Amino acid sequence: MKKILISTALLAGVLSYAGGFRVSLQGVKQLAMAHTSAHAEDASVAFFNPAGMSFIPSKLSIVAGGFGASNKVTFQNLNTLSSAETDNPLGTPIYAAIAYKPAKNISVGFSFSTPFGSTVQYPNDWEGKELVQKMELKSFYFQPMVSVKMTDWLSFGASYIYAKGKVDWDKAVTQFGGTVNINDNKASGHGYGFGFYFRPDPSFDMSIAYRSPVDMKAKNGTATFKAPSQNTVNALLGLNSAGQDSFTATLPLVEEYTIGMTYKATSKWLISADFNYHGWGRYSKLTLDFANAPIGNQADPTVLVAPKNFKNSKTFRLGTQYAFSNMIYGRLGAYYDESPYSDENFIPETPSFNTYVVTGGLGFKLKQFGVDVAGGYAMPQARDVKNPNIGFYGQAKAKAFYFGLGLSYNVFN
Amino acid sequence: MKKIIISTLAISALLFTTSCKTDFDTDVKDIAVTNGEANFSKYVALGNSLTSGFRDNALYIDGQNESYPLILSNQMKLAGGGAFKQPMMPNNSGGFSNLANPATGDFYGKIVLGVGCNNALAPKPSAPGAALDNISTGGPYQNLGIPGAKSFHLGLSSYGMLNPYYTRFSTGVSPINAAVSQAPTFFSLWIGNNDVLSYATSGGTGVDQTGNANVTTYGNNDITDPTLYKSVINTYVTALTANGAKGVLANIPNVTSIPFFTTVPSKPISNLTDSQASQLNTAYAPYNAGILQLKSMGVISDAEYQSRVIKFTAGSVANGAVILDKDLKDLTGLNPALKSYRQTTSEDFIILPAANLIKPFDATCNPQGMSAGTAVPLADKYVLTQKETLKVITATKAYNDALKDIAASKGLAYVDANTKMNELGGQSGIVWDGVRYSAKFVTGGAFSLDGVHLTGRGYAIIANEFIKAINAKYKSTLPQVDPNKYSGITFP
Repeated sequence: MKKILISTALLAGVLSYAGGFRVSLQGVKQLAMAHTSAHAEDASVAFFNPAGMSFIPSKLSIVAGGFGASNKVTFQNLNTLSSAETDNPLGTPIYAAIAYKPAKNISVGFSFSTPFGSTVQYPNDWEGKELVQKMELKSFYFQPMVSVKMTDWLSFGASYIYAKGKVDWDKAVTQFGGTVNINDNKASGHGYGFGFYFRPDPSFDMSIAYRSPVDMKAKNGTATFKAPSQNTVNALLGLNSAGQDSFTATLPLVEEYTIGMTYKATSKWLISADFNYHGWGRYSKLTLDFANAPIGNQADPTVLVAPKNFKNSKTFRLGTQYAFSNMIYGRLGAYYDESPYSDENFIPETPSFNTYVVTGGLGFKLKQFGVDVAGGYAMPQARDVKNPNIGFYGQAKAKAFYFGLGLSYNVFN
Repeated sequence: MKKIIISTLAISALLFTTSCKTDFDTDVKDIAVTNGEANFSKYVALGNSLTSGFRDNALYIDGQNESYPLILSNQMKLAGGGAFKQPMMPNNSGGFSNLANPATGDFYGKIVLGVGCNNALAPKPSAPGAALDNISTGGPYQNLGIPGAKSFHLGLSSYGMLNPYYTRFSTGVSPINAAVSQAPTFFSLWIGNNDVLSYATSGGTGVDQTGNANVTTYGNNDITDPTLYKSVINTYVTALTANGAKGVLANIPNVTSIPFFTTVPSKPISNLTDSQASQLNTAYAPYNAGILQLKSMGVISDAEYQSRVIKFTAGSVANGAVILDKDLKDLTGLNPALKSYRQTTSEDFIILPAANLIKPFDATCNPQGMSAGTAVPLADKYVLTQKETLKVITATKAYNDALKDIAASKGLAYVDANTKMNELGGQSGIVWDGVRYSAKFVTGGAFSLDGVHLTGRGYAIIANEFIKAINAKYKSTLPQVDPNKYSGITFP
C-alpha cells in the first residue's frame, strides 16, 4: 500500500487553491470537517500540531491516506476575446504519520506530508504562454517530532522539518520562437514546528500551533532553452551546446499559525473551528540567478527578478462530526480561504482565488482499524486580473473538488 | 454554545449563497462583435511605409501580411467588414533589382540578421528580389500605404511617376483619388512621418521649409511647412468624408524615440588608451589654440568656445565624437584650419548607420579601430544635432496639433501614436502577457532591423491603438489582437 501511494505521488502533481500553492489536504478525517486541527484521535494530528500526539488515546497510532484533487482554471481576455482552460492532471497529495508513547508522558512521532504544491497545465499556445505553459511544484515534508504531556490537560510538542521539493516550469520564449524549461528536482530546506495542546475539560480541546517557513533552495537548477535557431540562441545567451544554463533560486514555503478548538456538545456530537494565518508576505519576489544567460532585469543582467507581492492571508474553518453509532461517523464542514494576492498581482503559474469550500465525509471504525472517506467542493471566486508587471489583463475563474481515503490503525494497551 | 455555533453555521451558509460569484459575468464566447456607428464594409488605408507594412528597410510579403491595416481589416470582418486587398510584392525579399542603389541602399532587399565577426549578430541587406513589377490592373487596392510618401504626395496625380512603390499599382490618379473613387465607408489616414523623418534620418541635411508652402521648391530631406501640412490633410479628409464615411487619423511619433537614433550612444567613444587619448589631444591642440585665440579676440563667445573645445579622456569615460556641425559659426574665412568641429553631447543623436564607422578597435573584427569621430570627424549626415532635433520636434508638434484639430472638427477617431511610441521608447517599454517590448534595437522586439519601422509585433501594438480609438469613437466592439502572435525579429 505504502509503495503504491508513494509512487502515485511521484507520478502526479499536487494542487489546491488553499492560498498560493499551500495544499490543505493532510488528513482525511480533518478534511471532512473543513480541515480543522483540534482532533487528537489518531496520529493524523501530528502534522497539525505535534503536541496533539500526547492526547491520542492509543499507545501506537499509524495513519496513512491519499487524496485526489481535481481542478480547472479558465482565463479570458475581454480585449482580445480569447479564452483558455487548464488541463491539469489529478493531484494526488498523500500523508502518513506514526505516533508512539514510549512512556506515559512522552510521545514520539513522524509525519510525512505534501503541504505545498500545484500543477497547472495550460494549452501550449494560449495567450499567456510566455508566462507559463506548465508549472509543477512539489514539496515533501519529513517531520520527526516529540511531545511532552506537562499536566493532565496540557502538552507541548515540537518537530523538525526536512523538506524536499521540485519545480518544473515550461514557458514559451516567443522572441526566439522556442521554449524554456526551468527545472530543479533537488531543492531542499529546513524548518521546525511546535505547538501546545490543551484539554482543560473532557469536552473541550484547543490546539495552538506554529509551523515555520521553509526556504526551498534550488542550488543547481537547469534552464533549458529550445529554439529553431538553437546555435544563435546558445551564443546569445551563453548557453552550453545542449542549450542549458544553470540557475539558483529560493522558493519560500511560508509559515502558518493555527488556533483550533473542538467542543463536544454531546457524547456523539462535536464541533470544531480553526483559524489559520499564513505568512505569504514573505513571497514578495522570485529571483532567478542564472550562471550566464543575460535575460535578467537587474543591474547584473543574469539576475531575473519577478515581483510576486503576496500578502499574509487567513483561513476560517468550521466543522462538525456526529457519531451515528460506535462504528459510523458522519462529518461536515465549510471553510473560507483567502487568496494571498490582489487582482493586481494575479499570476497564472500559481492561480489563486478567494475560495469557499464545503466538505463532508464518513468514518468507519472496526476495533483498532479505521477507514475514513472525505470529499470537498471548492467555489473559487471569479476575479478580475489586472497585473501591470506582466501586462496580464482579463478574468479568471476556477472549479475544484477533492476526495480522499484514509486508514488508521490504533493499538491500545 | 450550541446556539452560537448553529447561528454561525447559518451565517456561513448565507455567505455561500449571497457572495458566491464563481462564474464570469459575461463569457467571451458569448460576446458579439459589433460595428457601432461605423460601417466597415469598405475600408481603405492611406499612408506611407508604416501603413504598407514596410519593415527591415523593404516591402516584402511577410511584412505586408502583418501590416496594421490588414490586422485592422481582419478584426473589422468580425463586424461586417469587407475584403481588403493589398498590392502584394512578388517576393519575400523586397527591393527592385533594376533600381537598387548600392550607395544609398535604396530598393535593396530586406535587412536580415546574420552571424558576423566573433559570432556577433549583424544586420545585413540582402539582394533585391526582382525588378519593378506592375500590378495596376489587379486593383483597386484598399491598402494605399506608399513607402516614402509625404503628406502632400498623396494628392499628386503624377505620383505614380515619382515613386516606384506607387508606380507598381497606380492607375494614373493620386492616392487620395484612388481611395475616394472606391467610395470607402471607412478610412484610416496616417501620413506625415516622412515630412520630418527624411530630414532627421539624413542627419538634418535638408532645409526646414516652415513658412514656405511651395512644394516645388522642396528637396527630398526638407521639413514640410506645417501650414501646408494642415491644409493638405484637411483637403484629404474633406474628400474622404464627402460621402459620409467615418475614419480614423493617427498622429506622428517623435522620430527621435526610435532605435535609428537611440542605438548609437550620443557619446560613443570610450575605453581609449592613455596613448590614444594623448595622441588625439595633441592632434587637436592647434584647433583648440586657434579657437581660444578667437575667443580672446571676441570673435566667438565663451559658450561657443566651450562647445567647440575638443578633449579626449582615456579609460571608461564616454567621449563625444568629433563632428562637423554646419550650425556652428563658420570660422574658415578667418583660418581655413578652424573647421566647424565640436564633440557630440548627450543632446545629439548619432544615427544607426554610423555604428559601423565608430566601432572600437578589435583585433579580429575591426583591426583599424575607429575610423570616424576621433581623428576624422563624423560627417554632418550622421548626426542629428540638438538644434536640428528641435526643428523636428517643433514641426512634429505642429502636425499633431493640426491632426487633432481636423479629427475633432470632422468627428473622426484619433490615435495618439506618439504617446504609444514614447511609451515603447521609455525605460519600461510595454508589457503584453509577459513579453516586454521596447525601442531597443534587435532585442526590444518592436522595431525591425532598419531601426525605423516596426516588426509585425510592433504593428500589432499600433493596430490595437487604432482599434481602441475606433471603438471609443464609434461605439464598436472590435476585439484587440495579441501582439505576441505576430512575428518579431527573425534570428538566424
